[in-house]
Amino acid sequence: MSALESPPGPVAVAPWTCPFCPLLCDSFSVEAGADGLTLVGSECRRARSGLSRFGMRPASAQPQIDGVACDQAAAIAAAVRMLAASRQPLFGGLGTDVAGARALYPLACRTGAICDPAGGAALLHGLRALQDRGAFTTTLAEVRSRADLIVCVGSVPNERYPEFMRRCGIGEGAAAEVVLLQAASASKASTASTASTADAAGAGVDVVRFDGDLFDVVAMLAACIAGRVVGDAAGALGALAERLHASRYAVLAYDAAQLPAQGALIIEALNRTVSTLNQRTRAALLPLGGSDGAATVNAVFTWLSGLPLRTRAAPAGLEHEPLRFDATRLLAEHAVDVLLWIASFGTEPAPPQVDIPRIVLGHPSFAAAVQGSGSVFIPVSTPGIGSAGHLFRTDGSVLMPLHALHDDGLPTVADVLRRLTHALHGAAA
Amino acid sequence: MTSLTTLRLRGGRVIDPANGVDGEQRDLFVRDGRIVTLAPGEAATEEIDIGGCVVMAGGIDMHTHIGGGKVNLARLLMPELQRAGPNPIALPGNPLELASCGGCTPGTLATGYRYVEMGYTAAFEPAMMACNARHTHMEMGDTPILDHGAYVMLGNDELFLEMLSRGEDFQCIRDYVGWTINAAKAMGVKVVNPGGISAFKFNQRKLDVDENHVHWQVTPRQVVHTLAKALRELGVPHPLHIHGSNLGVAGNIQSTLETIAALEGLPAHLTHVQFHAYGTEGPKKFSSAALQLAEAVNANPNVSIDVGQIMFGQTVTASGDTMRQHAQSGLASPRKWIGADIECEAGCGVVPFRYRDQNFVNALQWAIGLEIFLLVNDPWRVVLTTDHPNGGPFTSYPHLIRLLMDRSFRAEQLAKLHPDVAANAALNSIARELSLYEIAIMTRAAPARLLGLKDRGHLGAGAAADIAVYREDADREAMFTTPAYVFKDGALVARAGCITAVPVGGTHFVAPDYDRGIETMLRKRHAVQGGVNFDQLAIGHDELCSCCNGGRLLPAACFETTS
Repeated sequence: MSALESPPGPVAVAPWTCPFCPLLCDSFSVEAGADGLTLVGSECRRARSGLSRFGMRPASAQPQIDGVACDQAAAIAAAVRMLAASRQPLFGGLGTDVAGARALYPLACRTGAICDPAGGAALLHGLRALQDRGAFTTTLAEVRSRADLIVCVGSVPNERYPEFMRRCGIGEGAAAEVVLLQAASASKASTASTASTADAAGAGVDVVRFDGDLFDVVAMLAACIAGRVVGDAAGALGALAERLHASRYAVLAYDAAQLPAQGALIIEALNRTVSTLNQRTRAALLPLGGSDGAATVNAVFTWLSGLPLRTRAAPAGLEHEPLRFDATRLLAEHAVDVLLWIASFGTEPAPPQVDIPRIVLGHPSFAAAVQGSGSVFIPVSTPGIGSAGHLFRTDGSVLMPLHALHDDGLPTVADVLRRLTHALHGAAA
Repeated sequence: MTSLTTLRLRGGRVIDPANGVDGEQRDLFVRDGRIVTLAPGEAATEEIDIGGCVVMAGGIDMHTHIGGGKVNLARLLMPELQRAGPNPIALPGNPLELASCGGCTPGTLATGYRYVEMGYTAAFEPAMMACNARHTHMEMGDTPILDHGAYVMLGNDELFLEMLSRGEDFQCIRDYVGWTINAAKAMGVKVVNPGGISAFKFNQRKLDVDENHVHWQVTPRQVVHTLAKALRELGVPHPLHIHGSNLGVAGNIQSTLETIAALEGLPAHLTHVQFHAYGTEGPKKFSSAALQLAEAVNANPNVSIDVGQIMFGQTVTASGDTMRQHAQSGLASPRKWIGADIECEAGCGVVPFRYRDQNFVNALQWAIGLEIFLLVNDPWRVVLTTDHPNGGPFTSYPHLIRLLMDRSFRAEQLAKLHPDVAANAALNSIARELSLYEIAIMTRAAPARLLGLKDRGHLGAGAAADIAVYREDADREAMFTTPAYVFKDGALVARAGCITAVPVGGTHFVAPDYDRGIETMLRKRHAVQGGVNFDQLAIGHDELCSCCNGGRLLPAACFETTS
């Protein structure tokens, strides 16, 4: 009897860790039914969308070369030929877990590849701010038990992180007040009216606006907190600064992916605000981001090599170039000659359509985006669905275990990468 | 499976303090990864002539920040240190190595390579957060060759403080400690600024040993005593590992002595004591209290220490002590730092620091560390550390060994420091030079004994064949920088400073017995206050294997308790 014929029921050995957003919630379960996998215990849009890409049957997906089905050995051999012929590979997407990242690093060293995740710009906002001034951060359990004021900067996290409020204990007896801090120009530029922004923010969320862009807002807030603003120049920010000063434990939350270009400057101003507050009271940042393996691969590469992503093992040595090694730009400028794209969760952006050879290790649904000559597609298992694994939670301190809902019969990213590295080694010998 | 090969290391001078051997010329035999004695008529199948060499067990670093959250944050914070002057750090010439930066925040790969090249075969991460245990084990698993283990942090978690505060049954607290060690797969328990990390979250900026935590109304004295007693009752071989109150504060010797008193004779290990041995004498109100500390250690046989020697130059301090790191963050060089409040159980602070030889305080810190090494009588209770990277990188150990073994070299270095320190330090009048035997105690035999590792840190029959062979050299720094041969579990892993094999190291941990009834309470509490499902907290053996990259699991036995 196949899973589809069996009556619906919970399939996850409790607990199940949802791999589809960096909150990595583990208090919900999954039921398998005729319609596929269904989330139980939450209405989370992101988890539901992620789960909709899977059934309980072993995947029938096959590797492809140039859009034509082949066996895995042939796909590996074709991929190795591409990598061996490359003078400068780019490893992008990077939608994988710790095991995948551990297996990717030796291949990156061997090929001199530049590594940059999908959403690399957002990851780099936080990283560059950190490299410049550092940070003072907090974690979900601290926020839940300690925060009395949460200021969400720029956007409402529950749009992209639907369980955010629940994870912060809002509405579950926690006493934290929630404020959405926005640039007035942002709401003017969008079609959203004040009322609909407040709706999106949710009941009980105060919306505080300040004229200008987000850079102006956070600069003025930092100045207010430091007592460097006189008169009414700060507008509504003056009152917010007072609330922050009066708070026992204030949290400033931001979603790096929602920040504009040069977002590191915004994070730096938030760091300064927290730093000033911490001279007399307590405050901390809560960064949101690092979805689809980006933060995890960054952590693993950092511990193995000593340097974060946007690094390559170049002939001259290990080069970290936060600006130059931007995958989007390198592809646009034809500065790389082969692309290895990893997207094992199915929720990543599709592999870029570029006119250089592409090797894609991805969720079976990405096969359609990897057609035509000069392409190799190898379907891989999804951590947390078809195989076990580990991902870092958004706050960076907790490495969550992921459990398989079933065996999807596909190789893991790590399996494929190890075979590639081994075969490449053989090809060079 | 029994190996057919038996290796003979012929003609070395063996220094093996655990077995009372001091420089005797004798052969060592290695088979199946162990030191063996040959039966009459048996012969070795391979032989290496190590005449003129000194042989010791592989070095064991029992306090070195090699992996986990704050170490990785230090790497993220300081990419500018991962350069060789204007150039990127060159790729390794050795095909067995993968690219990895060194310096004071090395990648895990470089950490393994550099330790092993120096003759070390095991290293212990002293500050693992339970919530970060998987990450810590992952990093240690990616530290090649070295065996490893970690101490889990307790004493700032809100649950422990709450239990203490409401006068919970001691048995309950003990079982919670036992559960935590098992869940995190730890080798011991460390307490950092007892109660102080939590207190900082409640906006308390200072916490003396008999001062109340502003919220929980418990004192560091109670925290230290309770944890030390719990470990004693659980039979955990490594006693409570204590990073005391008021780190870095002038006059903190008082806190350190009070912490020793709080133990009331229970065994404990005071870590990086150099940072806790400051007086307030002299015009700058900052003085050495090394003598007072050494007298206390000499008088309290229940106490062991490691020093946390500082070395001049750039480093980064990575600590769980958010309260003190926040207080010191104004001294950051370069001026940036990271702090974090973490999961209602811990915190971290990462502050870059440059120790300057012309700075009075730094110069005196250097002298205090050396004074402690030389004033404590019993080398079995002193472990050689720099608290890597906090006092300086572990790669400076050979230099430190020379300072301890060579009085004239020490005097030359002291003379170059800030003139007030050069002229007035008590170190000037200390003539003691440590012997190779004492160095072997402080770098392998003592740490093995303090950790309860019965088959490590010595060269007797049955011991793991972790062996370092040093070419005799009057310049001890040169001698200890590049051993001629290093063996790990009998395999040659480094030869003359070059890695020759990269096996995966094993994981040391303890599994004390405790009453599992405690899980009912923990489950309830986590359902309400936790950030992670209770069933996900404990790391099982299979998962530990995958975290540790398939390295061997090395459970250490607990001792029998009489309670």
